[in-house]
Amino acid sequence: MEIFTSVCAHLSNGVLRLASLCLAALGIVVIYGVVMRYGFSDAPAYVEQVALLLVISVAMFGAAAGVHDAGHIGLDSAVKMLSEKGQFWCGVLVDLLTIAFALVLLWGSLEMAISTHKDTIPTLGISEAYRYLPVMIAGVLIVLFATKHLLTVFKQPPTMAQAATKAD
Amino acid sequence: MELAVLSLSFLLFLVLGVPVAFAIGLSCLATFAVEGLPLATAMQMMVSGMNVFSFLAIPFFIFSGELMLHGGIADKILDFARSMVGHMRGGLGLANVMASTLFGGVSGSPIADTSAMGGVLIPIMKREGYSADYAVNVTTHASLTGALMPTSHNMIIYAFAAQAASGMIGGHVIRGVSIGDLMFAGLVPVFWIMVCMLIAAYWQAVHNGFPKRADGSSMLEKFPGWGAVLRTFIAAIPGLMVIGVILGCVMGGVATATEAAAIAVAYSLLLTSLIYRTMSRAKVVMALKKASKTTGVILLLIGVSNMLRWQMAYLEIPDAIEAALLHATTTPWLMLLYINIIQIFLGIFLDMAAHILITTPLFLPLAIQMGVGPVQFGMMLLLNCALGLVHPPVGTVQFVGCAIGNISIGEATKTAWPYYLAIWVAINLVTYVPAFSTWLPSLITGHPVF
Repeated sequence: MEIFTSVCAHLSNGVLRLASLCLAALGIVVIYGVVMRYGFSDAPAYVEQVALLLVISVAMFGAAAGVHDAGHIGLDSAVKMLSEKGQFWCGVLVDLLTIAFALVLLWGSLEMAISTHKDTIPTLGISEAYRYLPVMIAGVLIVLFATKHLLTVFKQPPTMAQAATKAD
Repeated sequence: MELAVLSLSFLLFLVLGVPVAFAIGLSCLATFAVEGLPLATAMQMMVSGMNVFSFLAIPFFIFSGELMLHGGIADKILDFARSMVGHMRGGLGLANVMASTLFGGVSGSPIADTSAMGGVLIPIMKREGYSADYAVNVTTHASLTGALMPTSHNMIIYAFAAQAASGMIGGHVIRGVSIGDLMFAGLVPVFWIMVCMLIAAYWQAVHNGFPKRADGSSMLEKFPGWGAVLRTFIAAIPGLMVIGVILGCVMGGVATATEAAAIAVAYSLLLTSLIYRTMSRAKVVMALKKASKTTGVILLLIGVSNMLRWQMAYLEIPDAIEAALLHATTTPWLMLLYINIIQIFLGIFLDMAAHILITTPLFLPLAIQMGVGPVQFGMMLLLNCALGLVHPPVGTVQFVGCAIGNISIGEATKTAWPYYLAIWVAINLVTYVPAFSTWLPSLITGHPVF
């Protein structure tokens, strides 16, 4: 269990670093486009498509890291009114639903990647399937992170598990 | 049947505490399954919803706000505000309102604003004889102005959501909305909100005798002199200039809103690294990480909201809502009142990005029929959404403020009514006095703005 928790922490940190790199690259690409257009009257056609690929990577990698760090916004007022046991099981259900969503994300994006792999992204000449790659990676990571949280909650003694659920 | 699955499953997931983005996504997927439509189509909707060039401005505005937050620009603005009004009754409260409004304009994010100003000012205010609820409320409510400023990524989201707007107002054809018009439209309402917040903060300070010592006696700061005001103002100017950079780039035709946002990032980075010398490599990495995570949360919401928009259009929900509201009334002021009430109610439960994307196609066509243009409607919508940021149960900005002030949401909410009143007055002015939001963009652009 400790190994799995540690692997998830490393993956979360790694994916966030990757998202940060993509964000930095995004800034450079867009500013490069502006400079080329105004400075050299030569706007590179590929800037927009590269930027779109980068932004989907930032978004999906950031969203996956958000699951690890419980960064997604939810409504917990109704759950707080339940008994501790009720809150505990609601927390478990939320993790299971998150896993379900991530599995559909993974499966749906895989299906889209397969169906579009022969099409090419204009100006880049690479397969459209690359657009769905960050979504697939995020799907796998969200499944791992939500599973880790679920296992942590069940592994801890009941009161600590309830506290962990509440903290999220 | 499909409508019941969509609405009931969404409500159920929300009540269970499922994060809003997953709740929207799961309810849409459940409806797709019931309709027998391929789930891959849902994924295509989600990805295409995120993959819009104008949305590139969102990570840039968020990143620029983070750079401002970690680069010490907030401190310069705070010094200026404190030197200007810090000596008055409730001086730190007034300085907080001014600084939060100005930094809101720079960062474009109420949450970043509350973190920056609240992190510094709330503990100081508590120490200097102000109650925690007062300190939290002035910070969180004044920071809402960030949502209406040119640096606001929510404005970009609205511009995208309103791009299909069409109709006629006063003999003028309406087609979509200009981001430049929107950027100027927020400035007058923001100034008005700041004035209202200053009045509310002053009134509460006088009413409660803030600042007061533990024995109940009063304690006021000394005025540092106009020389100090001028010095702190000059020091704050480069930070505040980011608003001018964005407006100048967009209105001067130098860059699109997306490119202007990227230029704002470069400007913030150069300013904090070379001029203020407050930026370090570690701070840039921290800002990049925080901006990436926030971008992920917001763009995922946008993606799933696109699924929901498609689903609502497929089920003809906008037509049904339009027919129901037109059946209830055709009187413009009453219709706008209904729209505002529904918006405020939805703002309690929905995150701002999802709120804008879902409700714009529902209510903008009706608003245009009532003579309200997309720019004016955008301001109405952003203000209604902003109110939801400080209102329980999902008021994320109020959560941040209360966490810094170490008080419960309930304690803060009890004394927040003067600030709610200020925003409510602003919402009504924007709704019923078109010039309040359209006069300035009309004046600057030279064409009528609606």
